[in-house]
Amino acid sequence: MKDSVRKQYLASITDKFVRGQLGRREFLRAAGKLGLGAGALGMGFGNRPFGAFSSARAAEELTPNPEILKWLADVGKPFAGTTLKLATESTPPSNAINGQLKKYFEEATGIKVEIEVLPLEQVLQKLTLDVASNLGTYDLYYIDQSWAASFSQDVFDPREQYSAKADLAMPNYNLDDFLPALVDGIAKYEDRWVGVPYDIPIFIMIYRKDIYDKLSLKAPETIEELYTNSKIITDEMGPKVYGTTGQMKSGHYSLECDWTAWLWGHGGSIFGPDGKFTGNDEKGVAALEYWTKLKATMPPGVDGWTWDGQGQSVAQGVAASMLSWGEFFPYFDDPTQTKVSGLCEVAVPPRAMSLRTVKETGYGEIPGVGHQGGSSLAVSRYSKSPDAAWIFMQWATCADTQALITTLGGGTGPTRASVYDDPRVLAQARVGAGTTRHLPVVRETIAKHMGSEPDLPEWAQLSSDTIPVSLGKYFAGSYGSPKEALDDIAKQVGEVLKG
Amino acid sequence: MSVTQVKRIAISDSPWPWLLPLVSLLVVFTIYPLIYNIWLSFHEFVPRKRALVFVGFANWVQLWHDTRFWGALGVTFVYFTIALVCEIVLGMAVALLLDAELPGFGALRAVLSMTLVIPPAIAGMMFLLMEDPQFGVLTYFLNMLGLLDKATPILATSSLALAGVLVAEIWQWTPFMVLIFMAGLRSLPPEPYEAAMIDGASSLQMFRRLTLPMMSRVIAVAVLLRGIDLFRVFDYVFVMTSGGPGTSTYSLSLYAWQQTFSFLKWGYGATLSLVSLAIVMILANLFIRAFKVRW
Repeated sequence: MKDSVRKQYLASITDKFVRGQLGRREFLRAAGKLGLGAGALGMGFGNRPFGAFSSARAAEELTPNPEILKWLADVGKPFAGTTLKLATESTPPSNAINGQLKKYFEEATGIKVEIEVLPLEQVLQKLTLDVASNLGTYDLYYIDQSWAASFSQDVFDPREQYSAKADLAMPNYNLDDFLPALVDGIAKYEDRWVGVPYDIPIFIMIYRKDIYDKLSLKAPETIEELYTNSKIITDEMGPKVYGTTGQMKSGHYSLECDWTAWLWGHGGSIFGPDGKFTGNDEKGVAALEYWTKLKATMPPGVDGWTWDGQGQSVAQGVAASMLSWGEFFPYFDDPTQTKVSGLCEVAVPPRAMSLRTVKETGYGEIPGVGHQGGSSLAVSRYSKSPDAAWIFMQWATCADTQALITTLGGGTGPTRASVYDDPRVLAQARVGAGTTRHLPVVRETIAKHMGSEPDLPEWAQLSSDTIPVSLGKYFAGSYGSPKEALDDIAKQVGEVLKG
Repeated sequence: MSVTQVKRIAISDSPWPWLLPLVSLLVVFTIYPLIYNIWLSFHEFVPRKRALVFVGFANWVQLWHDTRFWGALGVTFVYFTIALVCEIVLGMAVALLLDAELPGFGALRAVLSMTLVIPPAIAGMMFLLMEDPQFGVLTYFLNMLGLLDKATPILATSSLALAGVLVAEIWQWTPFMVLIFMAGLRSLPPEPYEAAMIDGASSLQMFRRLTLPMMSRVIAVAVLLRGIDLFRVFDYVFVMTSGGPGTSTYSLSLYAWQQTFSFLKWGYGATLSLVSLAIVMILANLFIRAFKVRW
């Protein structure tokens, strides 16, 4: 049987089983024809609302591929008793590995894995201390895309590791399977790979289909259409329901994320090729003017919300749409958590008015309305057990583990192309908790609409303080005009870059 | 060490054998970090070099030109002053009220002290929700009373944000003042009041002429304890506003934390912490001298 036909067949029987159209016995028989058990298929037994996996059930029933476990047992034997450490932000992949999957790795290899889950700024602090002291406290680094430049020399390039250590190389690990756009946007700095793409939260358009249908609107295809739709909804349904929402807390990184989407969407960029701030040019001013207009269609509390408040405003039915992180979507679809389960739909981000090319920007900035906030996983050069860490890294980022992460952790888009077609992932593409029905849109956004922030060591300060503090001041009315606010940001950015 | 030597130490008049454990702890946990902080303030961490580089007085000079520092200092002083005044006035008023032995007041005193067991960050989260323009109960009542427009987000409006944070602070820490003042009120001698009553003094006169003067040292201690704490305000602003909108609620502690942990400017962060420490020490000493506080 051809691989594509096999996958299609798997997805189809899985779908029928979960919907209750196929009995357990028939399902097992059908799966048996393919030489697979239910565990390998990642399927559960029992009735669930909307056929979705609950995390608890999934945790029991989704297990790693036995061949991979066998490889782990063989290759990991010499390293039994080693302890590996990783400091990471609380993200779906890390949480799924930490909470549910690492036990398989530990049992197979005898290698212990300690994962510290910390706020992002503390991860940066720990990594910086580690590289500054060469202590090797952490064997694996979780590297936010904005730190790639800073840590590029402190980690092994995974391509070199894979070819240099044939005896430790996972069969069919396939580095080419990582989505090229993510390799460029997240993991690459100059000619080096700074780890492999590990997670990819990305802006997609999420909207309330019921409200849009009621008002005869269609998913916004352009930025201007998003404003028009949002205004109609706010005028018709406000103050109970507002057209759109945002993550606009003053001084918070989330505000900068929103800003870049509008800036890029208006044909602007943060930096020019000469490395100077260009967010205050004509396009930048137009973007801020647009955003000010759009804000009037958002709930009043939006100035105090980060992504949490923004997500809650949709989950609680206060806002009818948002351009934000796709990983919210499985939560919105959970009927036990939100009022909007089954009512939301996804679309690619509204088309930009115009887009600058990478050559027209600075520090590797990639303009695109689908703002990306991903990270890489890499082995530290200071690790005392780099080989054991490399085995763990291959396992954590291989296609099988990524499929498990996607089905168990939910939310974040896979970073490998093959995982989007994995039957376990496809089987969950239905309304309900942990849905994956948004992933085709995530995939398309990554390929065609992704925007990526610049790579420079000062970016952490600029993106988490200089820019969002001033934008917060602007929205609180402390500047006379958008131009005045952006000129002030330009001046401050210049001072930070001067050092 | 022989048994005889141990016995000799035990009956010795010298305080050092007994103080040594405490002094060691102080050296390890207070003196050394302070010295290290001072050393750090003359260095700066350079991420590109991955090293601390000696920068002389650069961090100290930078303070004078840093408008964010002066803004944060101003916010801290405003916060400190308003919170302290409100907590003293309200604390005294509630303490006087609860000092009257009326039925149910015992339970009320217990309830009041419950606010103190809530971590400030959690209290901040509570008020963050209560002041939300969409879902907040506080906003709802202010709106109902016509004191606030529904579309005005308290914590995202420059002119209101600090007041929004102060509400949480005052709500949580006024009971602390109440407890201290009540302990003071309970220890006052009854005789002066009896004499004043015979002379026909009014309640207000007795409060001004007897209670306040006799309570002055208790008030001074309360001000000192709370004042030091208020100057370090961090949790409420971090949770509720992150210092915003803009920099309208940016406190000195928040600024020092941000420089140290977010931007890895360890030297400048250490300088800001030392400035904060110096200001608290100077103010506390002036206060102790002015009000002759006895510990």
